[in-house]
Amino acid sequence: MRVVIVEDQALLREGIVALLREQGVEVVAQAEDAEGLLRIVNGHKPDAAIVDVRLPPTFTDEGLRAAIEARERWPGLGILILSQYVEPVYTAELLASGEGGIGYLLKERVGEVRAFVDAVERVARGGTALDREVVAELMRTRGGRPGDAALDELTPREREVLGLMAEGRTNAAIARALVVTPGAVEKHISSIFGKLDLPSTDDDHRRVLAVLTYLRAAGD
Amino acid sequence: MSTQVEEQPVAEKPPARTDWGAVLALECAISALIVLITVFLWGVTTAGYFWPMWVIFALAVPIVIQLAIRWAIRKPPGHPRALAIVGAVFGCLALIDLAIYALSGGGYFWPLWPIASTGLAFGAYAIVVVALPHLRPRERELEERVSELTRTRMGALDVQAAELRRIERDLHDGAQSRLVALSMQLGRAEERLEGQPEVAELVRRAREEAGNAIAELRDLARGIAPPVLADRGLAAAAEALGKRSPMPVTVDAELSQRPLPVVETAAYFVVAESLTNAAKHGGGAPAHVDLSEHDGRLIIEVRDEGPGGADASGTGLTGLRHRVEALDGTLTVADVVGGGTLVHAELPCAW
Repeated sequence: MRVVIVEDQALLREGIVALLREQGVEVVAQAEDAEGLLRIVNGHKPDAAIVDVRLPPTFTDEGLRAAIEARERWPGLGILILSQYVEPVYTAELLASGEGGIGYLLKERVGEVRAFVDAVERVARGGTALDREVVAELMRTRGGRPGDAALDELTPREREVLGLMAEGRTNAAIARALVVTPGAVEKHISSIFGKLDLPSTDDDHRRVLAVLTYLRAAGD
Repeated sequence: MSTQVEEQPVAEKPPARTDWGAVLALECAISALIVLITVFLWGVTTAGYFWPMWVIFALAVPIVIQLAIRWAIRKPPGHPRALAIVGAVFGCLALIDLAIYALSGGGYFWPLWPIASTGLAFGAYAIVVVALPHLRPRERELEERVSELTRTRMGALDVQAAELRRIERDLHDGAQSRLVALSMQLGRAEERLEGQPEVAELVRRAREEAGNAIAELRDLARGIAPPVLADRGLAAAAEALGKRSPMPVTVDAELSQRPLPVVETAAYFVVAESLTNAAKHGGGAPAHVDLSEHDGRLIIEVRDEGPGGADASGTGLTGLRHRVEALDGTLTVADVVGGGTLVHAELPCAW
């Protein structure tokens, strides 16, 4: 797995690089602004880019914009956004940006080393890794709002399971979080797949599709 | 530069404007024709008492009045123009009196009385309009002071808002980043302490504390200025608020440019508080946010389709009103006919 990192603050950037290398992740290049992102993605064709939202020169959201542009140019590129804020507008734009792995994590999650490395790997493989705060925000948004008919058919429990899937948790982790057996979780998941009418290809892919359906509807 | 100055009047002039000069010329021509005809009639008929002079007088009155008014309305607006118009009317009346006196054959100079009385009235008016402001310097001083205070208060508030945003940015780049780095180092340390679970536990707790500090700083920064407002402006921030609301919210925004930070932040909190209220009392009914600009004012309207009956004296709305009034704006809360609540706020903004 080859990743690149774009972060303007040297302290953080070098820390993340060191941390990932210790965990055996191959960091092939680093940059500190939006142009740098496009340049190193073009030069190294990584599996995933880890990008800070705020980058020079305006320090607003050019990291996100550049990541979305990179994704348009190189479809399938995994994008893991790091931010100090949860901002549903940004998550929604990221989710709408086409095929490939997607992640949005609060910066402090970097300290949860194992979980962070898992997230990077999942995004590089085309999966999702959304911060629990992001998922909580999206769940709150969807609350009492009528939306996609198929999603409305989900039971509250199934929604909960889908939310945990969006965070990128495994079935075992979901079972632990909800205090149920792994078997019960599997039942919920196959019911979700059925209601969302997802093609019966491999389970990993269906998982991603289910999560994306759910998240895109919430972000609209 | 010079071409701009030359082009401007042409561009601003509406095409269908009446050409008063031409009207006057036409009027003079027709009057002259009528005078010629009457003098001719007088010549071929009696040729005695020169009665056509009354026709000439009657035709001259409207022309003189028109000339006087045209002169007066060219004066700068305000007191000078008002004075000139009143003066023109007074002058015309005096001229008419004098003309009638002369045409009717003189004698006792009766026009003295109407001219003297209207002259007195005009003089009194002129004194009130022109001299009074100078006689009351205190009032003028106060007026200047008020406008100066309004300007400086707006400036001070804007400096404060800009300063708060700078603090928010400094928090982001400074303390928050350092805490993130700290949390990351602690995480790496934890990974190397697998053989010493007790120490690893201490490190984990330290990392959690760092995480709590980061979360607190994040809440603090969000209270100052939500990142999406600073990054993308009012319309995007209103959209984001709409997305966060439990009910469907539509946002219509027609803003040509970004207002000052202080105005933008106040407008943001008007939308945020109104949507919070709509969510709380509206029973999930849809809400609409309308942002527009009119005459140098930013207009914010938040309308919901709930049951209405909002308490305008509640703490949230009162706080909001104070915030808006500090910027010389207004905020009203009203029930909409047919159900729902409308929050209407206007904020002056120097774009």
